[in-house]
Amino acid sequence: MTQLQTRLTGLAGGTRPATRTLGVHPTVRFLLRRLGAAVLLLFVLSLVVFTLSTIAPGDPARAYVGANASNAAVAEARARLGLDDPFLVRYARFVGHALTGDLGRSLRTRHPVTADLAAFLPATVELVLTAFVLALVLGALFAVSGALRWPGGAVGRGVLLLLATAPPFLLAIVGVVVFFGSLGWLPAGGVGDFEDPGPFGMQALDSLLHGQADAWADAIWHLALPSVVLAVAPAVAVGRVLRASLDTVLGMDHVRTARSKGLTERRVLVGHVVRNAIGPALSMAGLQLGFMFAGVVVVEQVFSWPGIGNYLAASIPVADFPAIAGVTLVLGAVYVITNTVVDLLQALADPRVSAT
Amino acid sequence: MSVAYAPRARIRPGSIGGVALGRPVSWLLVALLVLVTVVALAAPLLAPFDPVQPVGGLNLPPLSPGHLLGTDQIGRDLLSRTLLGIRVSWFSALAVVASGLLVGGVIGLVAGAAGGWVDTVLMRITDLFLALPGALVAIAVVAALGPGLLHTLIGVSIFWWPYYARIIRGETKALAARPHLEAARLAGAGRIRLVTRHLLPGVVPTAVVSASLDVGNVVLLLAGLSFLGLGQAAPAPELGADTARALSQLLRQWWVPGVPGIAVLVLSLVANLGGDGIRNLLPARR
Repeated sequence: MTQLQTRLTGLAGGTRPATRTLGVHPTVRFLLRRLGAAVLLLFVLSLVVFTLSTIAPGDPARAYVGANASNAAVAEARARLGLDDPFLVRYARFVGHALTGDLGRSLRTRHPVTADLAAFLPATVELVLTAFVLALVLGALFAVSGALRWPGGAVGRGVLLLLATAPPFLLAIVGVVVFFGSLGWLPAGGVGDFEDPGPFGMQALDSLLHGQADAWADAIWHLALPSVVLAVAPAVAVGRVLRASLDTVLGMDHVRTARSKGLTERRVLVGHVVRNAIGPALSMAGLQLGFMFAGVVVVEQVFSWPGIGNYLAASIPVADFPAIAGVTLVLGAVYVITNTVVDLLQALADPRVSAT
Repeated sequence: MSVAYAPRARIRPGSIGGVALGRPVSWLLVALLVLVTVVALAAPLLAPFDPVQPVGGLNLPPLSPGHLLGTDQIGRDLLSRTLLGIRVSWFSALAVVASGLLVGGVIGLVAGAAGGWVDTVLMRITDLFLALPGALVAIAVVAALGPGLLHTLIGVSIFWWPYYARIIRGETKALAARPHLEAARLAGAGRIRLVTRHLLPGVVPTAVVSASLDVGNVVLLLAGLSFLGLGQAAPAPELGADTARALSQLLRQWWVPGVPGIAVLVLSLVANLGGDGIRNLLPARR
């Protein structure tokens, strides 16, 4: 996230790397360092999750042999399951298992956590990506309407700001009461009843691939409310950052030059402002995409969306720690990877970013 | 810089959504903040009924005689429950922000004042925490410790200081380069005196402003965790959990899940507006 800072100072001053050491191109060095940091982060994440799993309530050995087993049987199971090994040995085994796709067995569903995640992840990805695209559009409208002083834009921005101040579960509730209860326009929750033949497990995408217009419309119909609820907060976050950098760039000398040579406001914006101003907004968008994978938990629960967030919400009350750990690892990895990819894209798009 | 770390950082000083604020309005917004704090403090006195005991008919709508906000599925007074819920939410959020400010403040101040390898090590650790998905890991922490308000506060606090550490370190570094620090050093002030008398006072306004703008975020996060069942145990009033428990009544008695949710909205709104007010009144660098 220091990249964002660099980006902002880069905007203001146009800093250049002072030295180029070892003949490696600064962009390449930045890419390598960023990838290294991502790998390190994933290990830290796994270490945190593993440490938590050792302090989580419930004795795995006792769960293995049954509640009525004798203490000797529990001790024997403990030794057999390797629970007596040193912390680092157990951690290494945990990472080894996780890397080969073994995250243990859910106490609630009795299925392997990996299988559960594979079943529930596509619906979440579909919801989050839809909401993300929506958030980018709304955020861009928020920023551009403000920077260009569109008439009536202030009202729209005010409404969006107010919505972003509300807890997502309240938005979801109001949405269901109004659009399902009163108007009957949108479903209260769930996904369509399309028998998804694959390959993605996402209804909107797969029905489109199979050319089924009805099923596609149904999928979009079900996506509408949850994705809007999920999109509001990130839209405002991205919109604010974009607005700030648009204002900065619009005040720069080259924009005055472009205006004074007679370009229309639209051409000034498209040709001279947007590309200079979009960097910080991209960073924020990456961060927000990560946040959305956490925020989706509440939204999925209200809308009975058959995704990983609902799986997590159902695991919490019964203290199903293997499932919770699995979701944390997978969504956390998605978060880390997303932010890394955004940083890399930015460095490739604008070499100033890698001049740290 | 605040733009980089605060998802809800403001665009221009002294404005809300582009509307400029005068000083009287700012004071008014801060007064709102004080009002909510007083209400939260006095909630047990203000609540007309016992929040955990059934006291009236089931699912009475708002504005029913004797029950201003109605009653819930087992006849408990919603106004009383909401007031007590506001108390829990508000002080929990303040506690998380205060602990974040304390930990992040000390780390940022030390890193910024010491510089060198101390700065590097502390900021690497800070970056590590910033790069982890805080809300998600907080859920795992609470799940591992077992549900409960204290555990939720611990889980969130662990991930709520790095943002402050970054801001305060940046502010400290900027201050340290100013001439009055040079003058104090030349006058023979020791390290401790430099930090406590010449750096700390200059950092406080920025710290208070970023903290007050952050309370709303914490209110929303804690309400979300409570909604997922990671807060207090069942009979105790809590805004997020009360909404979650009454979700099935949504289309028949909207007010039972709706009223606590609206209370969260009001808290978050007051926190954000009050933060704007404080920011306008304090001479912090923007």
